[in-house]
Amino acid sequence: MLETLGLMGAGFLHALTPINILAMAASTAIGIIIGCLPGLSAAMGVALLLPMTFTMSADTGLIVLGGIYCGAIFGGSISAILIHTPGTPASAATAIEGYQMTLKGQAGRALATACYASFWGGLLSCISLYFFAPLLAQLAMQFKSPEYFWLSLFGLTIIAGVSSKSLLKGLMSGALGLVLSTIGADPLAGVPRFMFGQNSLYEGINTTCALIGLFSMSQALILAETAIKQRAKAAKVKDKLMIGREDIKRITPTILRSWIIGNVIGILPGAGASIACFMGYNSAQQFSKHKEEFGHGAIEGVAGSEAANNAVTGGSLIPMLTLGIPGESVTAVLMGGLIIQGLTPGPDLFVGETAKMTYTFFAGFVLIQFFMLAIGLIGCKGFAKISRLSDAILIPCIVVLCVVGSYAIRKNMIDVIVMMIFGGLGYFMRKFDLNTAAVVLALILGPIGERGLRRSLLLSGGDISILFSSVICWVLIALCVFGILSPILMNKMEARSIAKAGGDMDADEMFTEDHVDYDSDHIE
Amino acid sequence: MKKFLALLLALAMLFTLAACTKTETKDPDDDQGEENNNQTEGWVPTEPINVIVAYKAGSGTDTTARLLVQGTYASKYFNDQTFVVDNQEAGAGTVGWQALADADPDGYTIGFVNLPNFSTSITDGNVDYTVDSFAPICNHVTETSLVLVAANDDRFNTLEDLVNYGKENPGKLMASTNGDHNSNHIGAQMFANSAEFTYTAIPYGGTADQLLALRQNEADFSVAKVADIASCASEVKVLGVFNTERIAEYPDVPTLGELGYYDQWLGSSRCIVAPAGTPQEIIDYYENAFQQLMADPDYLEAASSITTDFKNAADTGALIKSQQTYAEGLADIWG
Repeated sequence: MLETLGLMGAGFLHALTPINILAMAASTAIGIIIGCLPGLSAAMGVALLLPMTFTMSADTGLIVLGGIYCGAIFGGSISAILIHTPGTPASAATAIEGYQMTLKGQAGRALATACYASFWGGLLSCISLYFFAPLLAQLAMQFKSPEYFWLSLFGLTIIAGVSSKSLLKGLMSGALGLVLSTIGADPLAGVPRFMFGQNSLYEGINTTCALIGLFSMSQALILAETAIKQRAKAAKVKDKLMIGREDIKRITPTILRSWIIGNVIGILPGAGASIACFMGYNSAQQFSKHKEEFGHGAIEGVAGSEAANNAVTGGSLIPMLTLGIPGESVTAVLMGGLIIQGLTPGPDLFVGETAKMTYTFFAGFVLIQFFMLAIGLIGCKGFAKISRLSDAILIPCIVVLCVVGSYAIRKNMIDVIVMMIFGGLGYFMRKFDLNTAAVVLALILGPIGERGLRRSLLLSGGDISILFSSVICWVLIALCVFGILSPILMNKMEARSIAKAGGDMDADEMFTEDHVDYDSDHIE
Repeated sequence: MKKFLALLLALAMLFTLAACTKTETKDPDDDQGEENNNQTEGWVPTEPINVIVAYKAGSGTDTTARLLVQGTYASKYFNDQTFVVDNQEAGAGTVGWQALADADPDGYTIGFVNLPNFSTSITDGNVDYTVDSFAPICNHVTETSLVLVAANDDRFNTLEDLVNYGKENPGKLMASTNGDHNSNHIGAQMFANSAEFTYTAIPYGGTADQLLALRQNEADFSVAKVADIASCASEVKVLGVFNTERIAEYPDVPTLGELGYYDQWLGSSRCIVAPAGTPQEIIDYYENAFQQLMADPDYLEAASSITTDFKNAADTGALIKSQQTYAEGLADIWG
């Protein structure tokens, strides 16, 4: 215990070097900018900037990635409040009350509330990161080959289901990802599969390249397709960026509720910030003493949504760090960054040398929240203008970053071609309303499942009873069944949340063509 | 405002570009390089030296390579020039080695090859390079293979326990390996062949997963190298050493040969090589400079956890050749 406390303390010391502090400030600011640009999601931001971290030292690189993640999730609220267009799907619910407040001339109060709620949501979510991650890492020691097979299957069921409005399309997307995951050397015998004579494909399709293609490149294509159009003019922030003592008292219970909601949703693989914001908003409304204000600019609505989506950040890191199973696309990209920096997800994260780096990353995550608060309060007015940035500037920038980024990962031209192919694939998938996040997760989970299954069968000499041989196996099987059924439940719950969110707010309207995002499609 | 933002984004892109050119291969057709190429008498490097590492940043090879060439103690042996480590990790080493073979032999690109993986990549036949595509400079690290079981496995306290169990229960012993026909699989197979028992090999993606399976008792035994077990030394028992004599790290552990099993050294080596055609003067320069560097007290202190083993160019060439012959002979061991 004392040793762990020592490690936690040392983590803060490592995180507080001048270069890391600079990295936190810069990355949080960049994250906020990406977040408030409608059309650029957190996953895309992290994927685009990931290659920049390769040349940094491990702790700085990880802190930068964390900063972009947290910043982007908060940044989405700025454009949601000011121009009624959530910068990322995670802020969809913030737009409801936030824009009403802007119309009433309280834009400053709304932004300050969003910032304050995001800060507490993010900060509190670190508590679970500190306490649950080591526990789950110990549990991960019990995960052997059969358990990993079921775990990957569970990840696949819940991804395919939750993140698409049609179960069939979700499953189709997942199946496509699984097929693509067979490219490369067979994970057991090393037999080349579908490599087309390219040794660069030996390790399979580079997940980060696939992600950059599917999320960023395809987004640039979609933006370019809808001729460069006029964006809504951001409202001027007239009042002071301030949140009064009365307001704080009023939203504190809401923030605490949203923290728990966001945290639990974050830990569950498959459910992400975009679901959390609606659930946080909904609970804020349910328990509010000012129900009549909802729909006309209720401060609790903004706080409930923003605290929930930022509480997801800490929670979502837990399954990724401990089991190597990313719950959503942002953590999938983050996992790539961690591995490159030598932090391999799994039970070894909290022992020896690796523990130092892990706790530095955690400490960085805590400190980032403070930077988010400061930068958010000081810079909101400036960031508001960014949300009006012309597509003529945005599109070429994204394309250049996509190409540079995918090349920089391994300095390999084949990776750039792979990224381009996935960019085209992502474009058509979005056109057909398929789910690009399911493809990426299947790409990651497919090999884990294949290895787990084939290794189990090798160990048992072909006897499939090994797959049902432990308690953890049965728990995971139960979770798989739940995973398949959950889309139906989730849809009902979400429909109810949105229905309660106010009839005048048509969610489809919020998502205009230019930012159809991977998980925007289940907001209907 | 718009102009400012455009500028900001352009700067962000430049930053990214700069970040990746930092490790980019330097232009091989550089004038100065040519000049030096023509008059290699008393050759000294006058520009940063590009070092190709065929594994990713943070991998074992990368860590030891950076320890050698990127410490503050390194550049004084190389005319104050710095080394740029270029990780080209795709294709299980083959992409990086191909790039090294194809690089201009002007003395500004050198790299690390890992034995026996390098040798098996040639015998597997999916690559265009051969042993003769490279000019050996020296050997850097040698690691010896060990036979391991989990520390909490009471069934096996000596190598004989393991062998007897294997003989009584043919095929029942599960060995975790770092991949099918990879270095540690070769070790397990050599051990089993010489001790005349059969086992089942279970391939895991890499050494970390291989050892995790052993610690979880999913596998019964494993073969891995000395440095691999540094992070989990308390959780495994070392039963045997693949060497002609006992090694300093495990003086109490018998060699396999002592017990009548495989009696040769088995393990891995990391050699420094240049593309074939690099002038002899340059090879000599590097051989000499690396010999001094590997004897530097500051380097040795920093590298206390690895087995630095300098071998000169001739011995390194012989080692690469012998490993190649050995790899070609491996086809027979799988039975």
